[in-house]
Amino acid sequence: MSQTFTLPDVGEGLTEAEIVSWRVQVGDTVAVNDIVCEIETAKSLVELPIPFAGTVDELVAAEGDTVEVGQPLIRIRDAAGADDDAGDDAGGADGAARAAAEDESATRDSGAQDSEAQDAAAQDSAAPGAATQDPAAPGAATQGAAAQPAAETSERPAADSPIVEDSDQQALVGSGPKADAAKHRPRLRPTELDLVEVSDLDPPTPAAPAAGLQAGDIAEMVAKASPPVRALAKRLGVAVWDLVGSGRNGQITRADVERQAQQRSGQGKAGRSRAAGAAAPGPHGGLPSQTGLLYDGPREEKVQVRGVRKATALNVSASASTVPHVSVFKEIDVSRTMDLRRRLRDQPEYQDVSVSPLLFAAKAIIWAVRRHPQVNASWHETHYTLRNYVNLGIAAATPRGLVVPVIHEAHTYSTLGLAAAITELTSDAREGRTTPAEMQGGTISITNIGPLGLDLGTPILPPGQAAIVVLGAVRTKPWVVEGQVVPRQVMTVGGSFDHRLIDGDLAGAFISDVAAVLEEPGLLLD
Amino acid sequence: MGDVVQLLTENGELREDEVYSRYVEELDDAALRDLYRHMALERRVDAEATSLQRQGQLALWAPALGQEAAQVGTIAALKPTDRVFPTYREHAMALYRGISPEELMATFRAARHTGWDPHTYHFNNYAVVLASQTLHAAGWAMGIVQDQRTGTLDPDQPADEIVLACLGDGASSQGDAHESMVFASSYQLPLLYFIQNNHWAISVPSSTQSPAPLVRRAYGYGFTGVQVDGNDVLASYAVARHCAEQIREGSGPQLIESITYRLGAHTTADDPTKYRSAEEVEVWRAKDPIARCRSWLQAEQKADETFFEETDAEADELAAELRRAVLEMEPIDLERVFDTVYAEPHRQVEVEKAWLKDYEAGFAEEEGR
Ligand SMILES: Cc1ncc(C[n+]2csc(CCOP(=O)(O)OP(=O)(O)O)c2C)c(N)n1
Ligand SMILES: [Mg+2]
Repeated sequence: MSQTFTLPDVGEGLTEAEIVSWRVQVGDTVAVNDIVCEIETAKSLVELPIPFAGTVDELVAAEGDTVEVGQPLIRIRDAAGADDDAGDDAGGADGAARAAAEDESATRDSGAQDSEAQDAAAQDSAAPGAATQDPAAPGAATQGAAAQPAAETSERPAADSPIVEDSDQQALVGSGPKADAAKHRPRLRPTELDLVEVSDLDPPTPAAPAAGLQAGDIAEMVAKASPPVRALAKRLGVAVWDLVGSGRNGQITRADVERQAQQRSGQGKAGRSRAAGAAAPGPHGGLPSQTGLLYDGPREEKVQVRGVRKATALNVSASASTVPHVSVFKEIDVSRTMDLRRRLRDQPEYQDVSVSPLLFAAKAIIWAVRRHPQVNASWHETHYTLRNYVNLGIAAATPRGLVVPVIHEAHTYSTLGLAAAITELTSDAREGRTTPAEMQGGTISITNIGPLGLDLGTPILPPGQAAIVVLGAVRTKPWVVEGQVVPRQVMTVGGSFDHRLIDGDLAGAFISDVAAVLEEPGLLLD
Repeated sequence: MGDVVQLLTENGELREDEVYSRYVEELDDAALRDLYRHMALERRVDAEATSLQRQGQLALWAPALGQEAAQVGTIAALKPTDRVFPTYREHAMALYRGISPEELMATFRAARHTGWDPHTYHFNNYAVVLASQTLHAAGWAMGIVQDQRTGTLDPDQPADEIVLACLGDGASSQGDAHESMVFASSYQLPLLYFIQNNHWAISVPSSTQSPAPLVRRAYGYGFTGVQVDGNDVLASYAVARHCAEQIREGSGPQLIESITYRLGAHTTADDPTKYRSAEEVEVWRAKDPIARCRSWLQAEQKADETFFEETDAEADELAAELRRAVLEMEPIDLERVFDTVYAEPHRQVEVEKAWLKDYEAGFAEEEGR
């Protein structure tokens, strides 16, 4: 015989919980009140003690599952009943018969009920389902949250209690006594407050209702849908007060809300158009979202954060909240660099590599780092580490998100070698081939926002680095040269720095040196 | 005011106190063991009730874990006919007065408004509306005074009855507590306020309720107060005896601030790890009132192993009885719930009853389909 422990309401009016961890495995022996699992509800982490003794037969829900109150969690095989398990499968018929009997007989004494349960269990030997029954459990005679868990009657098992028999799992769930039936029956109508004459009572004054929403509606809605379900409805743009709940006591479940959201988006596809005009806003006037959405999809959508997005979020929030950033910028004439770029591109050995402003900026950074070692460092509160080498991180926007692959020992590369390295690195990044190792160990970074058509930005420092250089777009602009306004190729170069290590003057000197090289690439010939 | 009264140190050593030691000296070994026994029984009941709530058999449970000495020591110092006005956490007091586990659990299973007759046990129903019971206590005490003055005391009511008003550190901030204390003082009522300062009001630390010790409030109202180590059952007993005797002799109201700690959650619907540190709990776990009493009884050879084994067995039996009683409890009768709010028919209640019936019918309709 096995007994099923279903998820109880361990808080006040909770409707669901997530299985955090199982403390037992199939085959383990348990005693009454042994802790079998830890669950997380909207309110708290809770350890659940098992109400039966025996052997664990099945863990019905998996870790990470969200289970509704009343749904099965674990089945325990009663040690005493383990032997009678073989036998004919009388489960369905017997279960139905028993349910019928229970419907007729509302006032059986618990002893009679108990023995019937025993009989049923003995006959109904379809493993692993036969069960003994606890004579009583809190039921749901009252449907208000406050009144849970009042037992329906002590003589009959309330099947939405945490302890249900499952000699016939399918047949009995949903066909038991009234309390169980209530669980699966939707509410057909709201209940009004003014059912009796109250003329000579001080009427209860409800809180000011929201526009178009009656106080009764609010109360009804609050009673019908738990906070997590209301939150889901809000996210999906579903009007909870329009739903008829299919859950226990007419409660609106996640599934009800999701179904409604799906139906609505189905309707939208089936021919709703903006031309239909905006519906009047308000709970009973239909949702404007049916015609007023921006694109084909739910009104609000919860998107799981994972992968590169998650890593980026962690890195930038750690960096932004612990590193005091300081930024400086300089607008410069890069015409000579652009000339040099053109000439290099004409060289046969540069045919297969990309010769971009990024290449010259990389060279310029390595050149400037020699003069200002402190920008190529990392801060450790009690000390900082100067790096006598450059591992150059290059931020790349990829379809997967932002990655910052690193050219290790960048200072050892020739210009051609660096061009080749950058070319390879950026194409690897774009195609998602960058390995985790290639993203480690950067000492200083560069981000090129020029291709985005942008001039200025204040990047967040990669973890463990003290400087990141930002390159703007190269534009032909009027520039004053020797008293003459002439068109020149101009860009803004700047960067963000760890102010704990780098003051504005050092940041300025460093950026000015980077700028100097980009203005006069001949400086690289030193 | 003075210091926090402590007779049994945290290491389980007995201290001498000029005022309070004599009350403990009056207790024979059997009586001392009985203090321990009551604490141990309640703790077992508390654990079983917590499990039953986790198994869906109780709607809610408010554990008294850690406050057993404060409660047992205090209630043991009163006469059985002294009227107690509890909060919702005075389980050790309730059990001490003979309220059965079944009676105690009825409300927590949402099966009854209340599980016991207050007059039988001279122990009022649990009060969830914070500090409301302090007004009821003051009212009851005013009744005693009036009856004495007019010579209309019930023949079966003792002439020297006093009243115990229980409240928490959080409840001490309620306006009701203030009003009660004002009346108690103005009318010099035979009323003992018993604040269990268990350091928390759900997630609010007691330091938020008052930067000064709560005991000082008494002096503001014009009566005396004393702080006691609520994890020391002997001191809790002695201090309550002392206060009770003075009140019985006509001192007017007094106040005890019992310094203790709620080791468990506020209720089963609460997760204390969200607002207090594990270290804090550990500090107080080391001051466990039951362990302290047990080691003293053992060291003084006032109790042998057989006694502790018997007590554990008795506690297990009580827990089993509790489980059985809860599982078999008659369910709530909704008519009765409404009909027993007021002695006479009340239209507001009728409205709500009609609403609920109609709500229920909203399900029944489909059942017929
Ligand atoms: C008038 C009122 N306000 C608020 C509440 C909600 N509430 C229930 S218990 C509680 C905390 C009470 O703390 P305390 O008085 O220290 O007693 P403890 O729970 O610690 O025993 C609160 C705020 C209530 N029951 N009644
Ligand atoms: Mg408190």
